[in-house]
Amino acid sequence: MNEKIRKTILDNISKSVGKKAEYVDARLVTEDYSEFVELYDGNLEENDTTFENGIGVRTLYNGAWGFAATSDLSKINECFELSLQNAKTASELVSVAITMGKKQKGLKASYESPAKKDPFNVSLKEKIEFLKGIDDNLKEDWIFKRYISATFQKKNQFFFNSEGSEIERKLTDVFATMAVMGLDNEGRMQRRTHELFTKGNGTRGWEMLVDPKLFSSHAGRVKDELAELLKAESLKYGKRSVILLPGQGWLQVHETIGHPLELDRILGYELSYAGGSFVTLDSFGKLKYGSDKLSVSAYGGFPNSPGSFGYDDDGSPERDYLMIDKGLLVNCLTSRAMINEANERAGRKIFKESGGASRSTAFYRAPIDRMTNVNILPGNDGKLKDIIASTENGIVVDNPTSWSIGSNREHFHFGCEIAWEVKNGKKTRVLKNPTYQGHTIEFYNSLTAVGDKSTWLVGQVDSCGKGEPNQAMELGHGVPVLKFENVITGEK
Amino acid sequence: MINAKIKKIFQNARKEALKQKVQANISYHNEKSHLMRIGNNSVSLNTSENLTRLDINVTIGKKHGSHTQMGEISSSKYVIEALKIAIDKAKNSLDLDFTPLKEVIEDNFAQDEQYDKKLENLDPAFKMESYKKIIETVGQQYNYSGSWSSGSTEHFFMTTENENSAYHIVTDQLFNIVLKHPDKKWELSSTQTGWKKSDFKAAKTIKEFQKLLPVYEGHKGFKVKPGKYTVVLGSAAIAEVMEMALWTGFYGRTYEEKRAWTSKNKAGDKILGKNITLTDDPANPDTFGFSFDMSGKKRMKFALCKDGILKGIMYDTQTAAMYKKKPTGHDIGGSSIVVGAGEGDKSLLKAVKELGTVLYIPALHYINLPNASKGIFTGSSRFNAVLIKNGKVVSPIFSSRITDNFQSVFGNVKLISSESVSFNGSNTYDRRNPVAMSVPTYMVCEKVKITDCADSF
Ligand SMILES: [Zn+2]
Repeated sequence: MNEKIRKTILDNISKSVGKKAEYVDARLVTEDYSEFVELYDGNLEENDTTFENGIGVRTLYNGAWGFAATSDLSKINECFELSLQNAKTASELVSVAITMGKKQKGLKASYESPAKKDPFNVSLKEKIEFLKGIDDNLKEDWIFKRYISATFQKKNQFFFNSEGSEIERKLTDVFATMAVMGLDNEGRMQRRTHELFTKGNGTRGWEMLVDPKLFSSHAGRVKDELAELLKAESLKYGKRSVILLPGQGWLQVHETIGHPLELDRILGYELSYAGGSFVTLDSFGKLKYGSDKLSVSAYGGFPNSPGSFGYDDDGSPERDYLMIDKGLLVNCLTSRAMINEANERAGRKIFKESGGASRSTAFYRAPIDRMTNVNILPGNDGKLKDIIASTENGIVVDNPTSWSIGSNREHFHFGCEIAWEVKNGKKTRVLKNPTYQGHTIEFYNSLTAVGDKSTWLVGQVDSCGKGEPNQAMELGHGVPVLKFENVITGEK
Repeated sequence: MINAKIKKIFQNARKEALKQKVQANISYHNEKSHLMRIGNNSVSLNTSENLTRLDINVTIGKKHGSHTQMGEISSSKYVIEALKIAIDKAKNSLDLDFTPLKEVIEDNFAQDEQYDKKLENLDPAFKMESYKKIIETVGQQYNYSGSWSSGSTEHFFMTTENENSAYHIVTDQLFNIVLKHPDKKWELSSTQTGWKKSDFKAAKTIKEFQKLLPVYEGHKGFKVKPGKYTVVLGSAAIAEVMEMALWTGFYGRTYEEKRAWTSKNKAGDKILGKNITLTDDPANPDTFGFSFDMSGKKRMKFALCKDGILKGIMYDTQTAAMYKKKPTGHDIGGSSIVVGAGEGDKSLLKAVKELGTVLYIPALHYINLPNASKGIFTGSSRFNAVLIKNGKVVSPIFSSRITDNFQSVFGNVKLISSESVSFNGSNTYDRRNPVAMSVPTYMVCEKVKITDCADSF
C-alpha cells in the first residue's frame, strides 16, 4: 500500500489517542469491486460494475463511539477529526459506557480468500458466454421466464488500530442464481431456483462458478421440478413432519438461530430497527434451544464460504466455536465491545473472548455484530432417503419464497418454492405453494433427524441486512437435511 | 444549482460520448448523511458520511453497460475514464431482444424546494440533546433505543440526447425512538419525519409517550387467539402493506409477467374496496417529490386506483420498451404515493366506539409475500399494538401475525381516517434516496385473519 497514506493514518491514530481517545481504528479500502451480470429471458438486463474506495474511522471516547467516512482520500485528517468529534458528542449521553476490554497485543497479519482464478481477470465476454450456455439449457417452450445471474466481489482492505494492529485482507466472493418460472394450472407464476453453493472446502474464485457440480448441472433438475409444480395441487393446511433441504435449511438457521444469537441484538442495540431477541443473558448455559440433535457452530473453520474472512473488523481472528451444544445454548455471535458489556451486565463471565464477528460491509459503515458462518453440524440419521423412509406423514421443502419473523425472533412464517409429500416413508407427489410456521424454541426441540455429512452443504448469502445505516453482508450457512415434527403447514 | 465545475465536466464527458457515437446517461449523486443511533439510553453510534457517486449508463444500439464509481468528481479525465469502462462493457455485451428507449431530458430541471441548509448541517449535538431531553422527561426507568438519520441528497444528470440537464437537491430526516419496559417488555415507538429541521419537535414525542404510558403501565399483555378480527391498521402499517401491494400489483414488469396480484385484471376492473384510492402525486407535500424521473421524463399526477377501480400501471423506460408501452415517469427508486383519506373521526378511539372489540395494529414487522400473485402477505404486530373494546383500550397485545391478502384487507375497509400523515419509507441501505408516502392515520379493516400469536411482545 501507499506508504504516505499509511503514515498519515498511523499519525492520526496517535493524534486521536493523544486527545484522550480510548481506542481508534481505521479501515482503508483501496479497492472494492463488484460486478453483476444478469440474463433475464436471454436478455442481458444487468451488466454493471461498481468501484469504491475510501476510509472509515471509528473512535471510542469516554465510552461512546464516533464514526466518520470519506471517499476523498485527500481528507484523511479531517475524517479522523470528525470521528473524534462525533465520539465526543456521543459521550454526552452515555448510561452504559462501551469498552473494548483488556488492551490486546497488536497483530500484524494478512488474509486472502482461497481463490485460484480471480473473477476480475475473466473477460466480460467469457462471463456472458458461460451464463448464456446455462440459459440455453434452461430454455423450453413451456417455460415462461428464465433468470440467471452472477455477482463477483473483490475487496482489498487495510485495518489499523490504536493497539498497533495492521491487518491486510483480500476477499473474493462469487454468487450465482438460476431460476425458471412458469404459469401453473391456475395461471399463477411458479418458480424453481438453484443457488451456487459450496461444500466448505476448495477455493472460491471463478473456478467455483464453473464447477458443474455446484452450479450448471442443476439446470435439468430445476426444469423437471418446475414441470411437476405446474400441474401440482396446493399444500393443504395441517400438522405434519417437515423435512428441510439445505436450500431452505440455511434460511431457517439464518433467521431463527443466527439473528437471535447476535449479541448486540440480545443487549438491545437493534431494538428500534431489526428488533430484539427472545434470548437473554440468563439463557446462556440454561436454555434448551433445541433437541439433543441440534449442535450449532459459528464460523466452522471451513475456508470456502462468504462467512470465512480471517480477521473481523475489530482486528480479531475469526474463531470456530459451538453456540448450541446438543441442544443447550452456550455461546453466541460476538464482537469485543459487546462481550465486555454483556459480562458486566450479567455479573458473570459468559463470554471469554470475542467471537471475531464484528463486521462492516464497506469503508463507510461502522462494524456491528454479524453472522460469520452459522452452521448446524451434520448428524447420524443418514441420507435424505433414510429420513424420508422414517417419516409417516410429512413434506420435504426447498428454497424460500417468503420469510417473515417476529421482531424478537420468537415466531416465524416461511413460504417455499416446492414441497414433496411424504406418506408412509415414501415421496408421493409434488405440492405447490407450501408454507410452514412455528415458534422457535418449540420448533427446534422437535428436531428429530439430522442428515449425515453427505447431506451437508454451505448456502451462500450475499445480502443479510442489518444495522443503521443498513449493511447488506455476505455470509454462509453449513446445513444438513433436517426433520422437524408436528409443524403447522399450509394456510387455513 | 449544481456546482459549475461539475456541470462543465459533465458537458465534456457528454461531448466525448457523442464523439464515440454512444448514448449515455451520466449522473452525479452526492449524499451528506448523518445518523445517530441510541441503544440502552446511550448514543451507540454517531456517524457522518460524505459520499459521491458517478453513475454511467451506456447504450450502443441494442447493447448496454453501466459503471458506478465512488470518489470525488475532480476532472473531465476522471469521468471520461469511467465512461470508457461503461462503453467497453456495452461493446462486449449481448444484443437485447428489444430496442431500448432514448433517454430524453424533457426540460431543464432544477428542483430545490425541499432543501433546508439547517437540516443538511444539523449539529449532531442537537440530536443528542433532544434524545437526552426525551429520556429525562419521560423517565429513565425505561429502556430507550432509536435512530435519527438526516442529510442531503444532491442529484444531477445529463444524457446524450439533448443539452438539457436535471438537478435535484433534497434534505430529509427520519427520527425514531423506541421505549421498552425493562420487565413488562412492551415497546412503544414514536417517529417524526420531514425535510426541514423544524419538522422535528422533541415535545411531540414526549407528549405521545406521556399519553400512551398510563394505558400500558396499567395492563398486562394479551394473547390473541387465531381467527378473524376487525383490525385497525395505523399509518405505518397501512404504508407498509400498501407498499407491498404496490410493488406486486402496480408495476409494469410484474404485471406484464403475470406475477402481480392484478395480472388477471385490466384498467377499469374493480380490484379493491370502493373507498380505496391510490395516486402517485409528486406535488403532495407529505412526500419527497421528484418533478422528473431518472430517464429525464417529467413526472405528473398519476392515478393507480380510484374508488377501488384499477386505473394505471407504472412503466419504467425498460419495461415500456420491452412491452411496447409508454413510459409513465417511473424510473425512480420511490414514487410519491398518496393513499386517499376518508371521513373517519380524527380520534381513533371515538371512531371505533361502536365497533365492539378491535385490534389496533399501528405497525407491522417483516412483511413478506408467501404468494405474491394471489396477493397474500404476512407480517406481525409490533410497537403500541392494543386490544380496544367499545372505544376503550383494554390491553397491549403480544406479537400477533396477520396472514391475509390485499384484496380482502383493502376490500373490507369500513372506515378511513380523515387525517393524513407522512410516512417516511426511506431505508439506509445503499445510497441515500428519501421516499415517503401520504397515508391516513388509520384504516378500520374487517375480517382480517390473525394466524398466530407469540407469548410475548
Ligand atoms: Zn439476515
